[in-house]
Amino acid sequence: MSSFLSQLHFQLSCALQQRIEICKLRQGEHLILGFSIGGGIDQDPGQNPFSEDKSDKGIYVTRVTPGGPAEVAGLMMGDKVMQVNGWDMTMVTHDQARKRLTKKNEDIVRLLVTRKSLEQAVRHSMM
Amino acid sequence: MPMDRYADMEDKLRILEDLNMMYIRQIALSLQDSNIQKKIDHEIRMRDGACKLLAACSQREQALEASKSLLTCNTRIMAYMSELQRMKEAQVMQRVALRSSDAGPTDDRLPCKGKVAISDLRIPLMWKDTEYFKNKGELHRCAVFCLLQVGAEIHDTDMVIVDRTLTDICFDNTIVFSEASPGFELRVELYSCCSEEDYSTGSTPRKLASKLSSSLGRSAGKKLRVAMDPGACSPISNGGGATLLLPLPTVVGPKYHLLAHTTLSLSHVQDSFRTHDLSISGNEECSHWVPLYGNVCCRLAAQPHCMTQQMMSGCLKVKQFGDPQSWTNVYGVLKGTNLFCYHRQEDVEANIEPAFTISINKKTRIRASEKDLHNKAQSICISNHYGGEEVTHTLSADSREDTHRWMEAFWQQFYDMSQWKQCCDDLMKIELPSPRKPTLVTSKQGSLYHEMVIDTSDDISTVTDILARRMQELELRSQLGTSPPWMSLFQDSPGCPRTHNRLPHSPLRCPRPGLLSSEASLTSDSDSPCSTSLCSRHSGWAEPLSLSSPSSHFRPRTLSLDAKLSTLRGRGCGGVLQCSCQPPSSSSLAPIPAQRVPQATLSCSNSTSSNSSSEGSHSPELSDGTPFSHPSSARQSLRNLRAKLDPRNWLQSQV
Repeated sequence: MSSFLSQLHFQLSCALQQRIEICKLRQGEHLILGFSIGGGIDQDPGQNPFSEDKSDKGIYVTRVTPGGPAEVAGLMMGDKVMQVNGWDMTMVTHDQARKRLTKKNEDIVRLLVTRKSLEQAVRHSMM
Repeated sequence: MPMDRYADMEDKLRILEDLNMMYIRQIALSLQDSNIQKKIDHEIRMRDGACKLLAACSQREQALEASKSLLTCNTRIMAYMSELQRMKEAQVMQRVALRSSDAGPTDDRLPCKGKVAISDLRIPLMWKDTEYFKNKGELHRCAVFCLLQVGAEIHDTDMVIVDRTLTDICFDNTIVFSEASPGFELRVELYSCCSEEDYSTGSTPRKLASKLSSSLGRSAGKKLRVAMDPGACSPISNGGGATLLLPLPTVVGPKYHLLAHTTLSLSHVQDSFRTHDLSISGNEECSHWVPLYGNVCCRLAAQPHCMTQQMMSGCLKVKQFGDPQSWTNVYGVLKGTNLFCYHRQEDVEANIEPAFTISINKKTRIRASEKDLHNKAQSICISNHYGGEEVTHTLSADSREDTHRWMEAFWQQFYDMSQWKQCCDDLMKIELPSPRKPTLVTSKQGSLYHEMVIDTSDDISTVTDILARRMQELELRSQLGTSPPWMSLFQDSPGCPRTHNRLPHSPLRCPRPGLLSSEASLTSDSDSPCSTSLCSRHSGWAEPLSLSSPSSHFRPRTLSLDAKLSTLRGRGCGGVLQCSCQPPSSSSLAPIPAQRVPQATLSCSNSTSSNSSSEGSHSPELSDGTPFSHPSSARQSLRNLRAKLDPRNWLQSQV
């Protein structure tokens, strides 16, 4: 019993890695994903409210539009985007990150994201 | 060995500190004045808090704020202690005077005190042409603030970060000193601190910079080391100035230095803006140098109590013109440059107009006349010149003592007016600073983004929908005949004071339950790029509803919300929202920025998040059926460029 609980605790407290597949939505002449990103190697990491390590210059999801493709696919605020369609996102500038997500010839983006435990994510979103 | 010496010194300093505190307590006890004692204790506690915060914080802004608090606390402690010493000296002198026989009862008349307010401080800067326009290279930034002191009362302004892009340092605070004598001396001190030194155990780039600078040359390295040396925190460099009564604790962190000062007095008081000279200390070589033009502009106003308070009141009899035997009973109130005569005493509180008013100003002549045959008491004659004619009013009090008291009051009033000079010509307006939102303080100390609630309801379209819904609710309400209690505020808004516009607090302090949620608040978050003012005229309302109309502080609007609201206008919104005012260039329909929260936010990041970048896909909101119109790409790209180049931002992009 105790080992089960400790296993559960371990799962809940460590970071999760998730693969998220977002199908872009076409609105008029635009393809949208329905979330916002922050961060980048050219940004000030100290201002990132979602990162645990304040020198982390990765790309983070700062907002998810309700009902949008990103939310439907399971993306959550506070997720750190590690890869997009195989392209690394941990050492990119903000603009490069945005461009990689908004390529016009791609209808689907596959993200690899890291998510802190549920409790932490909720805590961050309420700060 | 050196560590022992350091610890030894610390101990000595602590003992000195304890001794000083005992000394101070003794003085306070002997003076039977616990007021200053309490103030000193309070400031010492604040100082300890600031030191701890300084040691603990890692962010530049926090450290600067904490250092500012530290300096303010230190200055206040000095001032209180000097005050205490002065009071003790005065007491001793008094005792000496009483003992010696020649000091008779001095009948010195003391002038009344008054309120002195300084506001809209603006200090012009003088950057070299090349620096200002090229805006290339490292952006040298300094944090500055002002300390204002009258007697033992010290106030500080907010901190402002100054860099090459600024032409003036503006402090929006209004500072009021409530008990100032006419001989007051308002000392204005400008402190600055370079905001780039590596004083925190911060990030690698800063460490690298300090390593580079120390390897550049002995003098440069020496400067940096001196700045970082905890022992360099001397009372002089921290603006202490006065004799050291309490040793200051050694702190590591940003240190402010006195950059300029000036002293203002009664002769500088005027009901308008004036320019005064600054005495500048320091030169280009200092790290804290900011090129000042040499002037400071501000508005210094004074309201002596004799102008704002009732100096004397009581029952009087006024002789009627034409009929020497008939006297009218009035209730007289001496206030400012007038003697108001009311029918009854109750009229004063009821705000009913007085029966008549006798002017009491510098040109008035008052004398006590000889005893009338018919009256037992002396009467008072007040003569004024009204347009060439001399008009004399004759008043009489009920008893001899009353007459004497009235005469005293008149003499005191004349004396006050002679002491306060131009302040007694007309009542100067002092706009009291409205209470700040408590969250403002915390948002300055931490990262602004920690305070922001990134909420899904912050979409522009959601906001405009909320607005439209509120308008409908208001419309229904007014139809029902009940108007919300805060409506009266809007109707008075043309008199909205200028100082409120740029401050990040709302001039609307009335509670607005249910009608406007805190998220989609219409308060003027003036740190945001858009000022908030919504005009709507409705048939049910007599006057237009207009919020904080910003006048000269125009800020660029987010065009998408603007366009959205105009589409709402076009649709008529069920015939409810009729924005009939054509926006003048600086006010009226300005939007609420998307990332909304009642706290202050960074400017550029708002516009970036609400308008995605010009390249790539532009994404209208999903929750709203109608996509909002795109702002012109040129303006958008310019804004984005500015946002990108501004090192203070943490950009967010919508994808």
